[in-house]
Amino acid sequence: MGAQTARLRRDWSPYAIAIAFIGFALLPAFKPPAFVESFLYLLFFWIALATSWAIFSGFTGYVSFGHGAFYGAGVYTLANVASHYSFWWGLIAAGLVSATLGVAIAAIVFRTRLRGELFALLTLALAIVLATIILNTPVDGGPGLYLIGVSLPNFYGSPASTLYLLIMCVGMMSLATAWFVQQSKLGRGLFAISDDEDVAEILGVPTYAYKLIACGISSALAGIAGGIHAVFVNYVTVSGTFNLEVPLFVLLMSVLGGARSWIGPAIGAVFITLLNNLFVSGDYALLIRIGIGLTLVLTTLYMPEGIVGLFHTSWRRKALPLTGSQTPSGHADAPLAASIAPARQYQPTGETLVRLEDISLAFKGVRALDGVNMEVRKGEILGLVGPNGSGKSTLINVMSGFYKPDGGRIFLSGENITALSGHLVARNGIARTFQIPRPFGRMSVLDNVIVAAMFGSEQLPERAARERAMHYLGFVGLDTRAHALPSDLNLHQRKFLELARALASGAKLVMLDEVLAGLTPSEITSAIAMVRRIHSADTTIVFVEHNMRAVMELTHRLVVINQGKVIAEGDPRKVMQDAAVVAAYLGTSDAED
Amino acid sequence: MSDREISKSGVTRRGALAGGIATAAAASLPAAIPALAQGTGPIRIGSTLALTGPLAQTGILHKIVGDIFIDQANKSGGLLGRKVEWVLLDDQSKPDVTRTLYERLLTVDKVDLLIGPYATGSILSAMGVAQRYNKILVHHTFGIPSLAKYDMHIPAWPIGFNPEKTVTNRVMDMLGNKVKTVAVVTSKFPSVHFLTVGARPVFKERGIQEVLFLEFEFGAKDFGPIAARVKDANPDLLFMGAIGLEGNQLLEALEKLNWTPRNHFYTYPTPGPLALSPMGKDALSFTAYEDLPPLNKAPGAAEFGKLFTDAAKAANNPYPFVETQTAASYSAWQILFHAAKETNSLDDRKMADFLKKNGAPTIIGKVRFDGPNNYGEDMMRIKQVQNQKWVIVYPDEFKTPGSQLIIK
Repeated sequence: MGAQTARLRRDWSPYAIAIAFIGFALLPAFKPPAFVESFLYLLFFWIALATSWAIFSGFTGYVSFGHGAFYGAGVYTLANVASHYSFWWGLIAAGLVSATLGVAIAAIVFRTRLRGELFALLTLALAIVLATIILNTPVDGGPGLYLIGVSLPNFYGSPASTLYLLIMCVGMMSLATAWFVQQSKLGRGLFAISDDEDVAEILGVPTYAYKLIACGISSALAGIAGGIHAVFVNYVTVSGTFNLEVPLFVLLMSVLGGARSWIGPAIGAVFITLLNNLFVSGDYALLIRIGIGLTLVLTTLYMPEGIVGLFHTSWRRKALPLTGSQTPSGHADAPLAASIAPARQYQPTGETLVRLEDISLAFKGVRALDGVNMEVRKGEILGLVGPNGSGKSTLINVMSGFYKPDGGRIFLSGENITALSGHLVARNGIARTFQIPRPFGRMSVLDNVIVAAMFGSEQLPERAARERAMHYLGFVGLDTRAHALPSDLNLHQRKFLELARALASGAKLVMLDEVLAGLTPSEITSAIAMVRRIHSADTTIVFVEHNMRAVMELTHRLVVINQGKVIAEGDPRKVMQDAAVVAAYLGTSDAED
Repeated sequence: MSDREISKSGVTRRGALAGGIATAAAASLPAAIPALAQGTGPIRIGSTLALTGPLAQTGILHKIVGDIFIDQANKSGGLLGRKVEWVLLDDQSKPDVTRTLYERLLTVDKVDLLIGPYATGSILSAMGVAQRYNKILVHHTFGIPSLAKYDMHIPAWPIGFNPEKTVTNRVMDMLGNKVKTVAVVTSKFPSVHFLTVGARPVFKERGIQEVLFLEFEFGAKDFGPIAARVKDANPDLLFMGAIGLEGNQLLEALEKLNWTPRNHFYTYPTPGPLALSPMGKDALSFTAYEDLPPLNKAPGAAEFGKLFTDAAKAANNPYPFVETQTAASYSAWQILFHAAKETNSLDDRKMADFLKKNGAPTIIGKVRFDGPNNYGEDMMRIKQVQNQKWVIVYPDEFKTPGSQLIIK
């Protein structure tokens, strides 16, 4: 496994980028025909735009049509600034203005939690609004701007070479940035956002900040590319700048190449730019365009994960043969059975880990939680039970920061964490699993757990996070499936993946939300053993469950909740005898008590 | 095989060759690019046109004209004793692609001469390439003369250096003192906006009261609010900066308000729809040429008019008649060939100097290039819709026989 991991980690991409950069930078020295530089200019222009789009939209999954606006902001910023100052000032301003615009728009939009098609429509509107402003102010005013007064720096003694080198640098910078982001903690967070933003947040990913950073990087690169392109076309107009060409082409290029890969959009850009610029004969022009359009449609249809996706699938099949419990019905309990340790005896310390004071939450008038007071003591397994709809999962959501309570306070180790967002709650040491597993679907099992280790309470660096993740995958018996996708796992294994993720975060408190639901009796037995084992590792557990056999076997204390209120708490056997609890479960009146 | 077929097949072969070359170039193999024969084979003239994309409707008209001209030229012996081949590429209505393709034409296809693309943005892109390679660039319908600063660009469309002043003054000279008030409404399409906004000082200088000034964005669909403002202003003259169907759209909106402009002028209307619309009655515009006497009595004009009409009908063009756009396109070819013949060379500098000094005869008339930015006199004529047809009504020497200017 170690060798395999080492092989997986060997990445020659930065060297390839550096060698390509040097090669392309030296190209003008060989005095190629100007068309070559001009054609490569267009190639790198689209590489820069498509790659920068993917850094935000491809990595986070937020499809944006606003890239045309950020590009256009760069075009017009350079056209205005460079005419009065210099090209370099214009280019710097183009990047800054576009980045500022991108971050500002993202800051507003993501506060409203817009997602999906609404987000896409809003970004489309952004380009229209910006175009209207530019068209109706002295920034343009209508007649367009002619950049004849802008003097370019001089590389290789030729404006064509200079422009080529400038855009090549931006293209390569976009690729290097995309590669760096993809490999970095930021990239892991963005991919997590793409797969399941809510889960990412409660695993510790600062989703809001990460989206802003990605949008800032993406729009800055688009702005710089736009600035250079303003000089390339020499005459900029609103209709020529803010049309649908840029937002649609970058989307198409990224989808075609593979939007979740740093290299995918560039591959798509090369493919489409070659098609668009090599087949330009004046005869049959329309037929050629139709042919190109059909080619793109078919390619996109038959390669939904893009060209890079094909390679990934092939690589996964060849390099990572399934081993161990690979059949759909296979359980991950063999390693576990061999290593089960006896449950640690709970020694009550009386120390409170989490305290809830008068927690209330209502949804559109329906009171889900009504003055809940409860505490979780350090080192215990606290059972949280109640009928369906009683408020158990809501309470878990409040404790993990997923919901903010309408009233009341939550203390963790004496600190008030009520107002903290989900990722900060996670960093403070609270982790949870979901009743229906919510793994990051397009990440491997290993990467799912690495995210938790990197963003959880210990904020581990990648190498340590990988070791931690492998440790906990081994702990839950999924180490042989580390490079499988979650969709390759059965329900039992996906639930254990959730456990591994929660444990790898280094949490003080792990909340297990109906972890036994849907499992077979034998799977339940292994799951109970697993919970015992987790507890023996000195982890405090809140165990939300309907399976009363498991509850009675596992928990040290029990809290019963009904209609958003705590109706009983204490020793599990005594609590289950409580008349109110019996009534709540059986649905009879407790008035006689 | 006809000459035309030779031309077409040549383009296709070279297109494929250029495609292969460019692929090799993209793989950083510039040395693999072969030199193409020059000097003894056909004279190769390169250009791009907007054959696809938003400007294709007009771009295709330029292609029809170019095909006709090359066919005619080859049938009459070619140029300087050599056959002529037109290397035409599709710039997809994009100025950045235009620039790249003109560089391809010069450095890969190695054409002997250039001729312009269509639309202001693309012409500027091509002009930049021509300037870097010291090539003469004759072009068709460039709308903002002040932007054309290259000393070897040759504008075939004789609009003059200050069309915003000269055209406006011509219109007002024609209308005389009957017009006291004007409503100026303009699209923000750059060349349209330039001309219309530039007309406003002329109205002021002439003491004509501007009762309304409105701008709208190119591509606007709802002209109702603009029509209401125009009706309220009740001008003697509606002066509209319009391109394409914008004039028709405003007129339809005015019709819904039961108001008809007394006198109305449009900058760049699509000729057919405005002439055929009942609301287009008496509409005014400017033109360099219409396929009408006396203009179509110029040498070669009638033959070209017939060939164009046949070809345009075959291409299902809704207005299959030569007008300002197609006449300028034909003139550009005439100018280029005239310069080559008169200098007996393909030397760009010699040809440009000759043209700047002597001008060139075209179906539009003798076009000169001896003014600022190589623009000569403004040769625009004023046309009016009468009986659902355009006729020239001003100046008198170009007036269509039987027509009379209608002023209200």
